[in-house]
Amino acid sequence: MSADVSDLSLVRRVQGGDKGAFDALVRKYQHKLVKLVMRYVRNPAEAEDIAQEAFIKAYRALPQFRGDSAFYTWLYRIAINTAKNAVVSRDRSPIEYNIDRSSDAAEESYDMQGRMKDSETPEGLVLTDEIRRTVNAAIEALPEDLKTAIVLRELDGLSYEDIAAAMDCPVGTVRSRIFRAREAIDRRLREVFEGGLGRTEDLG
Amino acid sequence: MNEELDSQLSAMFDDELPAAECELLARRLSRDEELKARWSRYAAIGATIRAEGGVRLNANLAVRVNNAISAEPAVAVSQAVVEPVREPTRRATTPRWLMPLGGVALAASVAAAAILVLRYESPMSQVAEQSPPPVTATASTTLVAKNATPAALDSYTVPKTLARRSIVPSTQLANYVVAHSEFSSPVNRRNLLSAFMASESGTAGAPSGSDEPNEDVTDDAKSPH
Repeated sequence: MSADVSDLSLVRRVQGGDKGAFDALVRKYQHKLVKLVMRYVRNPAEAEDIAQEAFIKAYRALPQFRGDSAFYTWLYRIAINTAKNAVVSRDRSPIEYNIDRSSDAAEESYDMQGRMKDSETPEGLVLTDEIRRTVNAAIEALPEDLKTAIVLRELDGLSYEDIAAAMDCPVGTVRSRIFRAREAIDRRLREVFEGGLGRTEDLG
Repeated sequence: MNEELDSQLSAMFDDELPAAECELLARRLSRDEELKARWSRYAAIGATIRAEGGVRLNANLAVRVNNAISAEPAVAVSQAVVEPVREPTRRATTPRWLMPLGGVALAASVAAAAILVLRYESPMSQVAEQSPPPVTATASTTLVAKNATPAALDSYTVPKTLARRSIVPSTQLANYVVAHSEFSSPVNRRNLLSAFMASESGTAGAPSGSDEPNEDVTDDAKSPH
């Protein structure tokens, strides 16, 4: 199996004018990209803004993407450069102070650059925690072979072939196990959203 | 939803779906909102397993990006740019049928260069360039070896000036004169031999029993030979 083939098929669709294919790429890599940007900025909201900017830059530059490297490698470089530029730009901006606040309150709510920290809303925090708790509980409830397969894939990043070798089973079995694991977790996840805590679209 | 379709989606998410199936599923994924939502949940599951702390799983980043690019024109790429994406490893744009011609051209260039080098390295070129005398030294050594004692050989040093001035080895020239004399008239042969002897007497490297090389010799003009 050639690496990056699914991303390339989506990239080709975007290059052919299909914006919906780019949406799929954003949904796939948004968490990884935000996590990457958070190496440079600790504020999750700011990291999301930078990741958003990186995705938009990538979209605009996609006509020049030739597929010499993997799409995520290319996106990774764009995100790193965007984050570095954002940090430099922020460091050059003058420090602002809110004279209406007491010094203690200002320390809590403002960082060195004087930007307000975008604290997550209570609902957002609860939902993120609920998603994590649900997924972890669903993983724990999985049969051992399904759990091993999905963890080797998502945590260790092994290919199906490597997982097959590790679990001493055919590649087709690995594909089936990972799919069944995802389906079991996804079923629980949908219950969370349908139960009223949030909407599925929020994940997007 | 079709279980086989979901299985394909899972494999595509992991980059483990064959390319042909990817093409078809990518088209459907870009249009099917339900499939996209499932795709998003797969991403959230992965982020949770990797324990990507600090990342908000409910962030509507994709919606924001989608809104931002909806105002932009769709990217359109010419075929020339899309083509290499299909074959990421192939970078050369030269047609395959031109490859052998390139090899022939390269071989011809090498051959031409070799001919030029050989012409410059021919004996006539060496004469013209007054090349340094390793050959002369060897010939002189041969001559000396025939006449000198072993003790003398131990102290042998090639006279510097002799080596510098002798272009054609004396032995070779003598052989040539002898060979030529078989085909020349007696008068010419005598004249040639006389000229050769005269030229030999005018140089310090004349082969004789007394031409044992001397380390002190630094200039042919001062040589008693």
